[in-house]
Amino acid sequence: MFRKVYLAYGFLVLGGTGFAQYQGWSLDRINQLKNVPKSVRDNPGSYRSVYGFYHHYTGGK
Amino acid sequence: MTQPVSNCPNCGAKIVFQWSSSVQTVCQYCKSILVRTDVDLKRVGQVADLPPDSSPIQLNTEGIYRNKAFVVGGRILYEYDQGGWNEWHFTMNDGTSGWLSDAQNEYAISFVSNTTGLPTAGQVKVGQQYTWNNQSYTVSVITPAHYRGVEGELPFQYWDKTDVTFADLRSQTGKFATLDFSGDQPALYLGEFVEFDDLKLKNLRSFEGW
Amino acid sequence: MSAGTPPLSTPPKPQAKALNCPQCGAAITLRALGHAETVVCESCHSILDAKDPNLQILQKFEAVTGEVRPLIPLGTRGKLRGTDYEVIGFQRRSITVEGIRYSWHEYVLFNPYKAIRYLTEYNGHWNDISVCKELPIVQFAAANYLGEIYKHFQSSDATTNFVLGEFPWQVRVGEHAAVTEYVKPPRVLSAEKSANEVTWSLGEYMYGADIWKSFNLPGAPPEAVGVYENQPSPVSENVKGIWGAFLAFAIFLVVLMAGFDLISNKGTAFESTYLLNSGEPKGEASFVTQPFDLAGRTSNVEVTTSANVSNSWIYLNYALINQDTGQAWDFGREVSYYSGYDSDGSWTEGSQKDSVVIPSVPAGHYYLRIEPEVDPNHRPISYSVEAKRNVTVPGFFGIAFLALLLPAIAITWRSISFERARWSESDHPPMLIQLGNSEE
Repeated sequence: MFRKVYLAYGFLVLGGTGFAQYQGWSLDRINQLKNVPKSVRDNPGSYRSVYGFYHHYTGGK
Repeated sequence: MTQPVSNCPNCGAKIVFQWSSSVQTVCQYCKSILVRTDVDLKRVGQVADLPPDSSPIQLNTEGIYRNKAFVVGGRILYEYDQGGWNEWHFTMNDGTSGWLSDAQNEYAISFVSNTTGLPTAGQVKVGQQYTWNNQSYTVSVITPAHYRGVEGELPFQYWDKTDVTFADLRSQTGKFATLDFSGDQPALYLGEFVEFDDLKLKNLRSFEGW
Repeated sequence: MSAGTPPLSTPPKPQAKALNCPQCGAAITLRALGHAETVVCESCHSILDAKDPNLQILQKFEAVTGEVRPLIPLGTRGKLRGTDYEVIGFQRRSITVEGIRYSWHEYVLFNPYKAIRYLTEYNGHWNDISVCKELPIVQFAAANYLGEIYKHFQSSDATTNFVLGEFPWQVRVGEHAAVTEYVKPPRVLSAEKSANEVTWSLGEYMYGADIWKSFNLPGAPPEAVGVYENQPSPVSENVKGIWGAFLAFAIFLVVLMAGFDLISNKGTAFESTYLLNSGEPKGEASFVTQPFDLAGRTSNVEVTTSANVSNSWIYLNYALINQDTGQAWDFGREVSYYSGYDSDGSWTEGSQKDSVVIPSVPAGHYYLRIEPEVDPNHRPISYSVEAKRNVTVPGFFGIAFLALLLPAIAITWRSISFERARWSESDHPPMLIQLGNSEE
């Protein structure tokens, strides 16, 4: 009985791994932003990264 | 027997005690509590009850062994200090005579053998090995026993109350042998264990409740 | 037929008396008996004299048998292997091992047309036993019976200390035999040797629940404690099969990874090197790279930063920005490397290289926005940035490997523990693995 369960489980694991790789997933956590204006190319300093800089609370009280 | 049966002293109905030394039962009809007065309470818990004479085989029981039919003609009931067993004598339709032993429903068929050079009663020991007819046998039980009773037709007439030694031997292939030291010379019977169902027995004793 | 032979006798009829009230003569029924110390007559309510001889029989019987009660009452009938049996006898036997007494119960099963069988019970573990017709072959620490090898489990001396009912031979308290047991779960082969006899029997493990069903007993069977010598293992048979499956899966995993490697790696999409001299960056540190293409279906992008830092660090704030959709992936990476000498020799910490994988990036035109941060008093640092399209992530395959391995290890561990528990009760206990504890 265990063997059947393990076989099914193993196929799930393999399938999941293949799927993850095919979808291009990653183990790293990356933040996504939308609607970055085209003006950033001319003025890179104007790019606002909401979460990129600070990994701790920097706001007021 | 196993479930002793009697009659209710109050109403006469049949009463049954659950087991051999059970001292109490209830009459189904008048509901009286009945107490057994012939049980030796000093022995309860200390000694088991004598095994019942419960062989399903009886005189004129018929059966088949190795495709030959046989009929049971006689019986010897042996007794030793802790119990007993039956030796049923049968005759096959070709005239051969043999023995069907029934020891608490363990059955074995054996035939007298004319092997010579047999050991004496003093020589056999449990675990000893002998080879007869190219078969190796090991002594498994040595029992001093005596006749308790006989029935029917037997190939010999013998009655003596003295203890005589019997040695049972077994083999790795289910073969069976007995050394019988009751006569002047040791006698050897060779045979094998058999399953009750394989003997296809007919005309068996009936047991109430089975 | 010789005249002197005695006729075969039938057993004598049992003598029974009714329990009657000495006052009014009414029959005492079961209801009135109860479990109370005194018995009251239902008709006239007088109390039965304790000296009533019939009552005394009942009380004496209770005194003698009250301590040990068979779990299957004598006289009960049940069906085993398709055959009806009646329990006709019961005994309690015990062995003493290292000063501790272990007791178990045996039941005699009777059917007029079948060979006697026995049931044994120890700590909730049951066995169905019958006498062997064939002799086993005893080898060193093992026995061969009908072609199967049974391993020696225990040799001991068993004594009867209580007996009720009927036995194939008249068992007596004090009777003892040298018992040797060999196991091949779920069966056990045992040899009982007394002065003039040696008997071999074969037992097969049974669960209490099945006994209760067979004999229609009320309540629940006693719980099985510990692992019994021939108790079948719930896992052992699976162990080999699972490792075979694991191996197959592991190979499959390697093939999968190699397969992805072959069909995927689309190569470097972007590469460039930059230099930060001492004092730089001055003013606005961020800049954008030349646009580059990310081709193929939606897949990942690996961004690798290599810097020649030595005992210093550089932190890069990255954003991978899609020129057309304005979608951005935002991340920061640190590259730091330190080295030196101390009393233990030379040491290093960190690395001059860092990699990160950006997930699920659709094809399109992209550029990187980079904003470096450095220690204000840094020496000149040269760093290069490389973006690779569609890489295999070893981490997934590593996780998958572990996910496949752990259940196999768990099941093997369970099986090993079960067998150790089994053999710990035998004459051949397994070695203790615990650290620190002395042998018990």
